[in-house]
Amino acid sequence: MFARFSPAQVLLVVTYSRAARQTLRNVCRSHDETVVRRFGRAALFEGTEFGAFLALRLREKHGGDVQIERTTPLNEFETVPERVREAAAAYEAREHPSTPYAKFAAGTDHPGPERLRRREL
Amino acid sequence: MRVAVDGVVRRGRAVDLRDLNPAPGAVLAAIRAAGTDGPTDADGPTDADGPTDDRSVRVDCPTSSSAHDRLGHVAGSPARSLRALLAAAARSRGQRAPQRSELRSVRDALADLHVPETDLTDERRRAANAGREEDRLRERVAELRGRLRALDETGAETDAVRDDLLAAIERLSEVETERIAAAQSLERAERRAREARSRRERRLELEDREANLERAARAHLAAAIYDEFAAAARSLPGAAEPGDGPGAYDGDPITAHLAAVRVADLDAPVVLSVPRFDGAEEASARLGVPVIRL
Repeated sequence: MFARFSPAQVLLVVTYSRAARQTLRNVCRSHDETVVRRFGRAALFEGTEFGAFLALRLREKHGGDVQIERTTPLNEFETVPERVREAAAAYEAREHPSTPYAKFAAGTDHPGPERLRRREL
Repeated sequence: MRVAVDGVVRRGRAVDLRDLNPAPGAVLAAIRAAGTDGPTDADGPTDADGPTDDRSVRVDCPTSSSAHDRLGHVAGSPARSLRALLAAAARSRGQRAPQRSELRSVRDALADLHVPETDLTDERRRAANAGREEDRLRERVAELRGRLRALDETGAETDAVRDDLLAAIERLSEVETERIAAAQSLERAERRAREARSRRERRLELEDREANLERAARAHLAAAIYDEFAAAARSLPGAAEPGDGPGAYDGDPITAHLAAVRVADLDAPVVLSVPRFDGAEEASARLGVPVIRL
């Protein structure tokens, strides 16, 4: 068997009405080779022209009740600054599980939550 | 009741129209128009009860109810589920489901919910076109620069190429400005769309809630009259093993429909398109409702 062409990029399709959700279910049922994952009223389609074709058909039929996003796996070593990665690792290794992050970061080199919120990736 | 088909008039609690053969849709439309202020023979049918024709049908009878919309035509297999038929029958007798007030508030919330339209097609197209045009001009500028350099080296005439280059650079800066404006406008629109989606999400939750409540209400009402329905099904023509609930009913779907009619409280005539009784009189007597036989 040939290794399948499987681009890392996928299309996230989210539906916002009963009719659009039903169409998404039907599409997933008849094209499971293109559907990477299904979650209730959302699904990930393969990042191929066929995946785009299915997603656009849904938008054509249900307009604003269909949201289409193009997503890729996150490489934190490429996209996320070291201080953020370190803060996440340190916080998950904290001694007291009940310590909120703001308190944990205070007085350390870790950025506080407000600073993290202000900065875009 | 009084029924007139193309000027032929019949009266009584049971009327047989088989010899006149009007379309079922026309008869049902006439029943549903009766008692309202509108014209009694010009209204179209209210649901998929079959085609009407251009013959004039007029029915004078008590005003039909919403239960009649669901139960009023007995033809082949009923289009509605047994629970829906039984719930309509129960409602016709004044029974109300406990889900009723919650259902009303969910429907009110749905009616109040305004969901703004979010079509970003134009914004997306504009941003994409501006990006493409910018790429094209960037290549053009690079190409003209190369040509200018080459001409300079050979000492040839450069004025024409220099003019082209300056024009291309100026155009590129305009297109860059347009591309940035288009990208920002798309970003703003995406943000608005995100807020609108929260409302769509809320609407979907309410619609799901409404459907669940409707289902629960139908189940409650169907269970409330099931024993009576089962007795009626056993007493009417046709094979039926009603069991102890709507899910257990095993037998003829037409018998089920007739039994639902029998336990319902209907004032307007039921249209019977299937042969089950010896004539309209017997049907009317056994079902306890006025009957028009087609």
